[in-house]
This record gives sequence, structure tokens and C-alpha cells, in this order.
Amino acid sequence: MKITPVKLWRRQAKVSSQIGKKGKIIAWTTIRIPSKEFTSQAPYPVIIVALESKEKMTLQLVDWGMENLKIGQEIITVLRRLYTEDGGDGIIHYVIKCKPL
Amino acid sequence: MKIHVLGAATTKFGELWDTSPRTLAKEAMDGALKQSGIRSSQTDALFVGNMLAGILGNQANIASLFAEELGEQIPAFRLEGACASGGLALHNAINSLKAGVYKTVMVLGVEKMTDHNSDDVTTALMSAGSDEERMAGATFPGLYALMARAYMQEYGATEEILASVSVKNHFHGSFNPKAQFKSIITVGDVMRSGKIADPLKLLDCSPISDGAAAVVITSDTSLAKRIAKPIFITASEVATDTLSLYDRKSFTTLASVVTASQKAYKSIGINSQDIDVAEVHDCFSIAEAMAVEDLGFSKKGQGAKDISENKYTLGKGKIISNPSGGLKSCGHPVGATGIKQIVEITEQLRGEAGKKQVKGAKIGLTHNVGGTGTVAVVHILER
Repeated sequence: MKITPVKLWRRQAKVSSQIGKKGKIIAWTTIRIPSKEFTSQAPYPVIIVALESKEKMTLQLVDWGMENLKIGQEIITVLRRLYTEDGGDGIIHYVIKCKPL
Repeated sequence: MKIHVLGAATTKFGELWDTSPRTLAKEAMDGALKQSGIRSSQTDALFVGNMLAGILGNQANIASLFAEELGEQIPAFRLEGACASGGLALHNAINSLKAGVYKTVMVLGVEKMTDHNSDDVTTALMSAGSDEERMAGATFPGLYALMARAYMQEYGATEEILASVSVKNHFHGSFNPKAQFKSIITVGDVMRSGKIADPLKLLDCSPISDGAAAVVITSDTSLAKRIAKPIFITASEVATDTLSLYDRKSFTTLASVVTASQKAYKSIGINSQDIDVAEVHDCFSIAEAMAVEDLGFSKKGQGAKDISENKYTLGKGKIISNPSGGLKSCGHPVGATGIKQIVEITEQLRGEAGKKQVKGAKIGLTHNVGGTGTVAVVHILER
């Protein structure tokens, strides 16, 4: 996934408004065979969350335990680094992920 | 205007390390031409379905490349709609005949995937998803796993019931000399296979494959008259949906499939139960469970159970689903799949499908899906 500085800047304009939102897991999976950039993180859960604001999002779940992998689990959105490694442009890329409440 | 299938051929599907995309395309097109009884110079245009040549092979401009392989300097177009690229190419080819622009065209689907390692292929396939999904670390098996989870929750289906989809398709594929996998598998084999994206396991997933398929279609009745067993494409419909899965009202139905299939049935005045044989897009076991429901064959929530009860199995069911072995067993070279489905249904309706023949098949359907149901293409063929 190629991320240029401009693309990142455009995206991050809306990131701050998405932090700290609460919701519930409505579907979950554990990715064991990831895309190339996520290899060092696998296995990791990816969920669809229904937020209290009525929006839905697909997010990576962080700070999780097996007991959190269930439909109905409450979560809150957090800001996290996207990849462990930095991209070629040396920019540290942050995105919205979520953690169990 | 009647759209006639003059010739239809596929290469073998599988890990074809000794063949290039050019060789695959040539073999499929030569096969289709030979059956058609026409020369390449009698084709007015070429439509190509391909998804990954640009991303994996660094080769764009491939419609012209394959026209060169056909040996003609005719108009050539590449259509891309993820794993529905083949179906989209055919739909556009049919439209060009209906518009009267061309009379006889070659439609080719081709994909070369096994030259690359599976990380690269997984990443490339994810180009069919959305930015948000990529940033969440989702993969295509992961997105279908989310649908499987929602389906299991909503309808009480088990992993074993979903596994029966792969069992059926491997049984069918065991009769297909062109299939990537001809081995018979059990529910236990699926359950014991490595986890890919829970609850989906390796044997719930279609493979990474190489292959090509081609059909020659015409509106020219004088050419069609020379064919012993004419087959007609009587309906061709496309529908689209949101790029992201999470934007949908339901994760257990593909609205694009419902729309495209209902339009197709209505356009020729039939209903879903009139279909004798279908090639459906079983990229994952859950996908076929939803397909037989969204196409109107099974009641909502009953698809996986009906498949597990042999209601779609050769020699047992009423509507036979994926006699070729489907994507799971026959293989899934993504751009080729939509055309391979047409080749299989053409052979079925001609009564030339060999050991996998569905007896007395008169009306066949193909169901080709791109992304997570972001695009669906439905064709109906009749003899």
C-alpha cells in the first residue's frame, strides 16, 4: 500500500474527530495471513464496529485478549501507529484503531 | 437480437509455471476460434477481463497485447472489476453487439497469479477493497470471514455446515480434467486445515491460480447456423454496491447480486427455480452459501444448510451449483473466472460436459462477483 505525504495529510485532516468514539463489535475475524505491510503484526483481529454515533467502521482491534473476541464487545476508538515499520518517505503514519472497553 | 455463443474454451487452471499470460491467452482464444469454425480475421473486436496484470506484472495496455496474440489489429478493450472482470468484459461485449457496432467478438478472461508470492497476491487483491479496509489490515479472506461471522450469528450456521460447500465443489471438481484440484475432501479435512481468517480456513478459500478462458459470441445468424448445438446468452445484467463492506445494511446478503439476478430473470420472464445449472462465485465457502440465497434458489439463511444436504450436488439436487468444481476446486484466476463460468455453462447446455454433465440442462446461470459484492454480473444462457 503506497502512502504519499500528500495523501496522508489529506486523510489525517479528519482523524482527530474520530478519536474516543464508543461502540460495539458486530463482526470480527482474526487475520492470520495478512497483506505484506502487516506481516509483523499477524495474527491480529479486524472488526466491524457499530458506533454510538450510528456510523459503522472496519478497524483493527488492539490491546486485546481472547475474551474480547465476541459480538457485542464494547470498544473505544484510539489513535495508533499504522505499521511497525515506517514508509519510504520517513513519515510515521497514524490511523484510527480501537481497543476493548 | 440473439446473442449466440459460437465457441468456448478454457486452458487448464492451476499453478502453470511454464506458461506466460500470452501463452495462456493464445491457447484459450485458439480453442474458442476452433470451435467457432471462424478465423481470427472474422472477429471485429476483443474484450479482455483482467484484474492484476498492472499491479502484479507491471503490464498495462494488455488489451492490445492480447489482440497482437490473436494476430489481429482490431479494437481491443480491457475491463476491470476485480474478480468480476471477466463477467464485465462479456457484458460490454454483448452491449457492443446489441448496439450494432460489432457483429462477432472475442471475449477473453486471463490471469497469471502464481508467478508471485502469496503476500504480494494478497496485497494486490486488496486493491479491490477500500482505503479504510486496507488501513484496518483487512484482507479479502478477512472481509468474507466477517460476513461468515455475521451469517453464523444470524442464522445459526456452523463452520462444519460452511465446510460442506468446499466438500461439494471438490466432489464436482474431481470430474473436471481442467480443474486445479481434483481431490475429494471431507468436512474433517476442511476443519483441520490451517486458519486463514477465522472462521475461514484454507479449504474454505479458493486458491491462487493461473488460467485463461475465451468465448466467441456473435449476432450474425448466418455464422450461428453453422453450429450444431447453438447456445444463446439471453440475459446479461450488472449491479454495483458500496466499495466498503461496513457501509452496507446487511453483511449476509449481497444486494448487487439480488438486483442483477432479479433484473436478469425479469428480462426473459423466468424465475429462479427455472434454472437447471449455475456456476456461482464461491471465492469462499460463505460466498456460495449467500449466492444460492441471493440468486433466489434457497430461502434466506438456508443456503449453507441446503448445500450441506446435497440439494446442489450433481446427481442429487434439482439446481446443480458449480459442476466445474467452482472457484474452490477448479481454481480462481480472477479475471478468467467470469468467462470460465460461461464456458462451463455452454458445455453443460450442449450436453458436452462429460462426467460432470447435469442431465437435460436447458437453462444455465453464471454469477460473477467482484470485491465484497461491490460488483455483480449475472448471465443466463439457454439452448
